[in-house]
Amino acid sequence: MTITFILNGEDVSAKVRVPDRLSDVLRDGFGLLGVRSDCRSGRCGRCLVFLGGSLVPSCLVPAFSARGKEIVTIEGYAQTDDYADIVAGFADAGVETCGFCEGPKIMVAAALLERDPRPAPLTIIEHMSAAPCRCTDPDSLVKAVQAVAERRANRIYRRAGQ
Amino acid sequence: MIYVQTVRSPVARGSVRSISFPKLPAGYRSILPADIPGRNGIVSFGAEVPILAQDAISYAGEPVALLAGPDPLRLEELVAETKVLCDSVEPFLCWESFSSEQVAVKRLATTGDPELAFSIASSVLEATYTSGAIEHYYSEPQGAAAAYDYDKIAIWSATQWPYHVRDSVALALGCKAQEVSVRPMKLGVHLDGKLWYPSLLSCQAAVASVVCGRPAKILLTREEDFLYSPKRARSSVSVRSALGRSGELTALDIRIAINVGAYAPLAEEILSQAVLVCAGAYACPNLRVEGYAVKTNTPPMGAFGGLGASHSLFAIEAHANRVAQAIGEDPADWKSRNVLRKGSLLLTGEPIKEETPYEALLAKVAAASDYRRKYAGYELVRKRRSGRSDGPIRGIGISLAYQGAGPFLSGEASNSYTVEATLNKDLGVRILTSAAAGAGGVVEVWRQSAAEILGVDLEKVAVASPDTDQAPDSGPSTLSRNVSVVNRLVLRACEAVQKRRFRDPLPITARSVHRVPKPIKWEGGQVSGAPFDTVAWACAVVELELDAATLEPRPLGVWLCVDGGKVVSPDRAKSALRASVADALGTCLAERFEPGAGSDPSAYFRYGLLPLNRLPPISIDFLEASGKEPVKGIGELPFDTVPAAFLAALSQASDSALSSLPVPAATILKAMEIL
Repeated sequence: MTITFILNGEDVSAKVRVPDRLSDVLRDGFGLLGVRSDCRSGRCGRCLVFLGGSLVPSCLVPAFSARGKEIVTIEGYAQTDDYADIVAGFADAGVETCGFCEGPKIMVAAALLERDPRPAPLTIIEHMSAAPCRCTDPDSLVKAVQAVAERRANRIYRRAGQ
Repeated sequence: MIYVQTVRSPVARGSVRSISFPKLPAGYRSILPADIPGRNGIVSFGAEVPILAQDAISYAGEPVALLAGPDPLRLEELVAETKVLCDSVEPFLCWESFSSEQVAVKRLATTGDPELAFSIASSVLEATYTSGAIEHYYSEPQGAAAAYDYDKIAIWSATQWPYHVRDSVALALGCKAQEVSVRPMKLGVHLDGKLWYPSLLSCQAAVASVVCGRPAKILLTREEDFLYSPKRARSSVSVRSALGRSGELTALDIRIAINVGAYAPLAEEILSQAVLVCAGAYACPNLRVEGYAVKTNTPPMGAFGGLGASHSLFAIEAHANRVAQAIGEDPADWKSRNVLRKGSLLLTGEPIKEETPYEALLAKVAAASDYRRKYAGYELVRKRRSGRSDGPIRGIGISLAYQGAGPFLSGEASNSYTVEATLNKDLGVRILTSAAAGAGGVVEVWRQSAAEILGVDLEKVAVASPDTDQAPDSGPSTLSRNVSVVNRLVLRACEAVQKRRFRDPLPITARSVHRVPKPIKWEGGQVSGAPFDTVAWACAVVELELDAATLEPRPLGVWLCVDGGKVVSPDRAKSALRASVADALGTCLAERFEPGAGSDPSAYFRYGLLPLNRLPPISIDFLEASGKEPVKGIGELPFDTVPAAFLAALSQASDSALSSLPVPAATILKAMEIL
């Protein structure tokens, strides 16, 4: 079947089969290599995307169910001001990821900050477990998300003041 | 591009009778051992692992055939429809007690006169400590891709050992090594899980590519990777100790059994390392150790955050804590009396050349954690407690270990470390090494070392891709060897360039090759040689609380102090150590599984990293280094120290003698009831 959806701000269409996973369609069909499909069971967090505004593991989403919805992958999110805040905040806190989990961690931080602009350390830690990896120490992640929140707040205040 | 998927053996031990493939659509084909143009096996440290099992099956899930085709989903279906009929034989699964045909490697060493020391000892204490299998949970599952690139076959794989991939593929294809070009991909966090296994997958991809005449890619799913790739080997270490009248350690009798699974590809190295450090940080004049690497019919087991030392260090530290408790002494004091000092002899007969930093480490870590007061307080509570408490109960434990870093002790990898540095006309520096840097900022350490020696800006120093076509063989890369051995070669190569700098015209290129001054030799129950280039020390304290109702341990804090020589980037090193402490705690609280005779997919779903919200505050500190100390490998120290400290804390809180991690609540309850 052919489905249409909005991918990173653009109207697109794709031919999908019933068993196709959204992660495979995004990766193989659209070349979005930031969507990794490692565990295929929703545990590793490497394939997180925003689907209709919610953060979901795309390996567990049947591709056909994306019909008519809006999908944002890390490649699309990287075009936003919010992404720049997060990357800068991570750098401020000295977070050095292995590279493989950086996208998912950014997506998780984005989803968290969308819901809670000033998250408590425990909330940050709980959410960051959605992108498990051995590479980053938890203290740095807390500092990083707090630094992002600070940056984001400053940006919004600056805009409001203009 | 074609995809490759693996047809696996359904039995743990036996032989293949037949393989029936379904009718394959056009563009799909099967690959059997007979299709391999060269040798059907990869060689690692003297052991050979078949690319596709032909005559004998050694573990459930062993590759017996490959299916290649353009659609991975269709391939999944075809693999599921393939029937593998095997003649099954009773598998070897026991390893703590084992038959002689299971012994892959044996190591014996004796110093002093242990028999006499035990016969006159004031007290003797004996216990056995076990370590479980641990999944590396690396950043990305294992995989490889292969394709012809003009007259060469190119391999893309995330590997710690590019030259091993090159040589293995050349053997498998029956071509010259120079006809294979390995282009290593980003490794991420590997924890020594990508040493030899990528070579196996690279051979499978290369064979598929040659047989099908198209670029081929094999990528394991997380589940396949979990079930069939190497994990940390399981171990059982029995320690019998003799004490003198004042509680001093006079003799040790240690027996190490390491379950290395099928084929035992890293057995020699893992066992050698485990045996060499079996006495841990303690001076012991009379020592007898026997070590066995035991083969079983489970997937090949391997290294994890170090190559075997952590098995022994966990056991000896757990035992030291138990000895101190048995004689009613604070473990920190007992350790202080028995620790290796300047002049103490190691198992190899080599004397310790410098004063060991235990006192300084202890002072720092004890002050930070308030260890002395807490230990005395919790001991008092433990002794006065009768039966199970209603409220949470606490414990605190301390452990000490050293990490030796140097080249591998065994096998073909021992002497193959080379680094090349070039100073170009634009004063840019190019470092060439096949050492693949994982996460942890190793490349920054190399760049900084080169920049300092040659007096150029950091931005001018580049580390080239570890492609085997251009980079010299720098041996198998592990985190500690990258920091110690490879960094030293970078320094030496840059020093050689600097010497010629104003004498010869630019560009100037120099190579530095590592020579092992005193290789390890095992002869007639004696071991000699200098195994390590650098030795780093650490002391850890873990405090925890045991829920009286659920008996679930909850760590309250971890304090780690490290003597790591010159620390190039303290913030980065602290962050990396904190992440490793979190991983080490995960192995104490959550991560364990028991590979058995069959593939148990549910094991994969039961296994997971410790959720970050279960981690306590983690404090990392360094001893100040004197000016000329070298950069030392420190990445393994959390795995060497934290589990033993955790076990000591848990034993104190539960007032029981525990000997393995993680400990299920039922085991704690049983141990508490026995006592």
